[in-house]
Amino acid sequence: MKKSKKLIALSASNKAYEFDKPLEKRIKYQGKKVDIKLREDPNGFSYIVWKNKKYMLDVIEKNQNRYTVMLNGVWHSFSVETPISFKRRKYLEQQGEASTSVSVEAPMPGKIIDIMVEEGSEVKEGEAIIILEAMKMQNEISSHASGVVKSISVKKNDSVMKDDVLIEIQRG
Amino acid sequence: MKIKSILIANRGEIAIRIMRTARKMGITTYAIKTAKEPNAWYLDEADEVIDFSECYDDTPEFLDIERIVYNAKEHQIDAIHPGYGFLAENPDFARRCEEEGINFIGPSHDAIYRMGNKTVAKDLAKQARVPLLGGSEGAVPDAEEAKRIAAEVGYPVILKAAAGGGGRGMRVVEKEKDIERMFKLASNEAEKAFNNPQVFIEKFVREPRHIEFQILADKHGNVVHLGERECSVQRKHQKLLEESPSPALDEKLRKKMGDAAIRIAKSVNYYSAGTVEFLLDDRNNFSFMEMNTRIQVEHPVTEMVTGIDLIEQMIRIAEGEKLAFSQKDIKLNGWAIEWRINAEDVQSGFSPSLGTVEKISWPESDQIRVDTGVRDGSVITPYFDSMIAKLIVHAEDREKALQLSSMAIRKFWIKGTKTTLAFCRAVLQNSNFRKGKFNTSFLSKELKIHYHHEPDEELLAAFFAVYDYAREVNEFEDKPLYVDKGKEIAPWVLNKRLR
Amino acid sequence: MDVKGRNFTRFLERQKRYDDQHSTRVEGKQHAKGKLTAWERIEILFDEDTFEEIDAYVTPEKGDTGFGKMKHAYGDGVIIGHGLIRGRIAFAYSQDFTVMGGSLGAVHATKIMKIQDMAMKMGAPMIGLIDSGGARIQEGVASLAGYAGIFYRNVQSSGVIPQISVIMGPAAGGAVYSPSITDFVFMTNQTSYMFVTGPNVVKEVLNEDVTFNDLGGAGVHSKKSGVAHMVYEDEENTLIGVRQMLSYIPSNNMENPPEMELSEDENKDFEEKLRDVVPDDPNKPYDVKDVINLIVDKRSFYEISENFAQNLVIGFGRIDGKVIGVVANQPKVLAGTLDINSSNKGARFIRFCDAFNIPLLILEDVPGFLPGIDQEHNGIIRHGAKMLYAFADATVPRVTVILRKSYGGAYCVMNSKNLGGDFNFAWPTAEIAVMGPEGAVAILYRKELESAEDPVAMKKELAAKYREEIANPYVADERGFIDEVIDPAETRRKLIRAFEALETKFMNNPARKHGNIPL
Repeated sequence: MKKSKKLIALSASNKAYEFDKPLEKRIKYQGKKVDIKLREDPNGFSYIVWKNKKYMLDVIEKNQNRYTVMLNGVWHSFSVETPISFKRRKYLEQQGEASTSVSVEAPMPGKIIDIMVEEGSEVKEGEAIIILEAMKMQNEISSHASGVVKSISVKKNDSVMKDDVLIEIQRG
Repeated sequence: MKIKSILIANRGEIAIRIMRTARKMGITTYAIKTAKEPNAWYLDEADEVIDFSECYDDTPEFLDIERIVYNAKEHQIDAIHPGYGFLAENPDFARRCEEEGINFIGPSHDAIYRMGNKTVAKDLAKQARVPLLGGSEGAVPDAEEAKRIAAEVGYPVILKAAAGGGGRGMRVVEKEKDIERMFKLASNEAEKAFNNPQVFIEKFVREPRHIEFQILADKHGNVVHLGERECSVQRKHQKLLEESPSPALDEKLRKKMGDAAIRIAKSVNYYSAGTVEFLLDDRNNFSFMEMNTRIQVEHPVTEMVTGIDLIEQMIRIAEGEKLAFSQKDIKLNGWAIEWRINAEDVQSGFSPSLGTVEKISWPESDQIRVDTGVRDGSVITPYFDSMIAKLIVHAEDREKALQLSSMAIRKFWIKGTKTTLAFCRAVLQNSNFRKGKFNTSFLSKELKIHYHHEPDEELLAAFFAVYDYAREVNEFEDKPLYVDKGKEIAPWVLNKRLR
Repeated sequence: MDVKGRNFTRFLERQKRYDDQHSTRVEGKQHAKGKLTAWERIEILFDEDTFEEIDAYVTPEKGDTGFGKMKHAYGDGVIIGHGLIRGRIAFAYSQDFTVMGGSLGAVHATKIMKIQDMAMKMGAPMIGLIDSGGARIQEGVASLAGYAGIFYRNVQSSGVIPQISVIMGPAAGGAVYSPSITDFVFMTNQTSYMFVTGPNVVKEVLNEDVTFNDLGGAGVHSKKSGVAHMVYEDEENTLIGVRQMLSYIPSNNMENPPEMELSEDENKDFEEKLRDVVPDDPNKPYDVKDVINLIVDKRSFYEISENFAQNLVIGFGRIDGKVIGVVANQPKVLAGTLDINSSNKGARFIRFCDAFNIPLLILEDVPGFLPGIDQEHNGIIRHGAKMLYAFADATVPRVTVILRKSYGGAYCVMNSKNLGGDFNFAWPTAEIAVMGPEGAVAILYRKELESAEDPVAMKKELAAKYREEIANPYVADERGFIDEVIDPAETRRKLIRAFEALETKFMNNPARKHGNIPL
């Protein structure tokens, strides 16, 4: 298969960063090509040296091509696209994915031990949002979608039945 | 009576902090181990560990008075230091220690009890002629009475509906000439909203500053204050950073408030370390809020500017020693700021970010102090608070302290969990904060975005994401696949497979 | 031959007509929908320049049907051929949506059947890139017969050569049965869907409004129905995923899977972090994927059906470079219990590994089966038995490591010694018992607990005693049901040696036409 060298990082705010040959560690900055000094240490800290300052880096989440990178204490989310998949995303956006709300239901009967979010919190798909105790075990219930918590239908110490709606999330 | 051993009924950074001073004084330290964090760092710093892992009921380990007292006696430990939180302000705990002959490193149970009761505390403050946030006791019957109480309490005041809230039936009154009119308005609104026209009056402090004074007192009646701490930057009443001294105080105000704090402490014959909290309005009027009868999280800033080890003092006071200094010996040198670093995701509304701190490192210097209970590999559990560390800087003046903070925060690296470091950066960027112009409304009004990053940073993060991705794809594609090995099948097996 | 003469010119002219069919204008139509063309997909899937097309110029019979217009395009809407994937021969067909909507006609079907026959003859994997509107209505029963022929070959090849279906567009009606028979189904999010009856018919018959995506999109099939094993965000990554999966699978059922080199920093002996993963408190959850990633070679774990039945984790991994299939209970979902969906998920995977000589590694931490009316009424009895059958029937090497809980029937099901497990290890945190300590004690000491002063404390005490004396792994060890209780840090070393010893394992089940697995 032909590997396309060029890759695009699409931020959560829809800003696209293009990189021609990322493995060569050179990027275009203000019209010029600049070398990136990157030091990696899987057992310690990885960092980039930029304008004479060190910036600590860490990939805190990675799912196929969706990345969350923590740099200097702030995390940034991206999806890494090839030029083709980037065009595809544009097309799909035009399709107008209606923002729907997603409800998170109890997978089995139990007791709510902890609720880790509040109405208005931002959540990411897969993030743990509720701890449900059942069968003497603490189960993490995670969000099915990324978005904002629209409503929370339960509180700590409530008993719930299977399929009871626990939390509603507004996709987006 | 000399203390030779201390049981620390606490965990995390404060436990380690207490142990540090105890070690310096040659005192043996005992720590409590829980099943919730069996590998915590503080356990390694103690001389002896008492294991509370076996849980017989649901009482949390650090709140189990009887078990702690029992174990202290079993091990013949001289004293108990409760740290902050947990049982530190529980008068029953202090009393049980006293009853069992264990030296409780803190105030008397009576002082804890009285200052813990808001009504009693306010009464004592009144008697000590310390300004209070006044108001009516219950509903005000008419505009006349409102006027009278308002005059007593002092303007501005706020009229509030007795039967409900949400801003309805609420009116702030700045001047006496408005009070009758406002009273009518508030009352009518309350009637319409809640079917009840009753309103009451309270002194209104608009966007106050939260200023607290550190007290040290011995068992011989000597009380001093060690200056103030400015704690106005808060979120939902939780302090996020503190500094000493406060940019809002001058010598005169400091003396006035300090003296008031001392009077409060004396009113309950206080001994040990304690903190008196005040609200300061924009006209420099202060009023007593409450007294915290324990050592506080933010005590390091006071230690940095006064050069006094508060834990050491608490121990000496408990031993019965007299304070080695008087008020005139206390000097505030330079400026100290404490930045609390918690395992919280600022970008998602400060939601807790549990997990493991894989690696942590910070710059070391004479002017930087880091109090922490977290080391490489520590787990942040949902059972205890989410504090990772306290970063305290000390410099000649506030400007230099801010610069030093900027550098220290940038070089404070934590891998494995999201932290509030980005929030600290946002605060440092704010021009009003830099000028010292802020109060308790800072977070909600001044700081529009709670985290800070430079524009280039997103570019660098994007690069790293792309680089990692490209590298992974390449790695997979380039790794040699030994297909032949898959075809080398032992005759034994091949023979059987053929059938 | 005269290159300017009639023979060669005719050859070149026909080639040009073919190229026009795949022109950029035509390509644009697919791209506008966010999809790649049939050729582009082939180019990504196969190693550069190794694909050879067969039957490129086949066209449907002219004047065959009287009803409806037909386009007589070269290839009849499907590209078939062979090429190399990571240096190994593989056969594929790629449906072309731009030709009559990729619909299946008699000739289109014959082409697919041809390539299926070839794959069987050569003993190489068969990959279907599906992007089709379904049966070609104009051709009537000939289309349906075409499908039947394809299904027949899918079944004949099942367990002989690996078959992978990649849904890259619509797959509707009868067309979905071929993928469901194949070994693995890949889907691309948002641009592919599968259903038996489409939204139009659903609306007509049941008056229910539903979109394509909500009825049979990648999300539905990866999370709810379990039909899709792997879902990717775009087509390129989907095809790269197929390449990745193939690196774990042999070309046919006589071969062993290919091996891979270890990284330099690979730990063969001691991995201390394994001691920290499982908490001492049996009620605290943890992520079994952390254990898996510490046991298999670095970054070699390829999870399958990640979003379906998450209480059981399955996937391929490598130990010492050699492929194994991993089946592991996931304690942080549904407490790691087994239920209908996870039993199905596990059973199919075990059968695949058994068919293709992939040894199995079972990581066990299961408190039992999920209780409830829902499970019972829907036949947990039947479905749970599937996994049991699959394990017992498997003749590939199977090694179990009991990480923590292993209660009751679930103990038997998860490849216990008497079910034919070859090596059974246990960690010191293992608890093997007929039921959990609290439950057991409540039954055994019911009378005593009823008349006790402080039943809660007594129960706790008795449960602790039960743990000490009965549920610990040493009892099972001493009676031979566990081969060895091991230090978690040594797990890799033990497993590498166990699988090495099992390399020449061969067993035969009794001769029969085929067993009767509960379905």
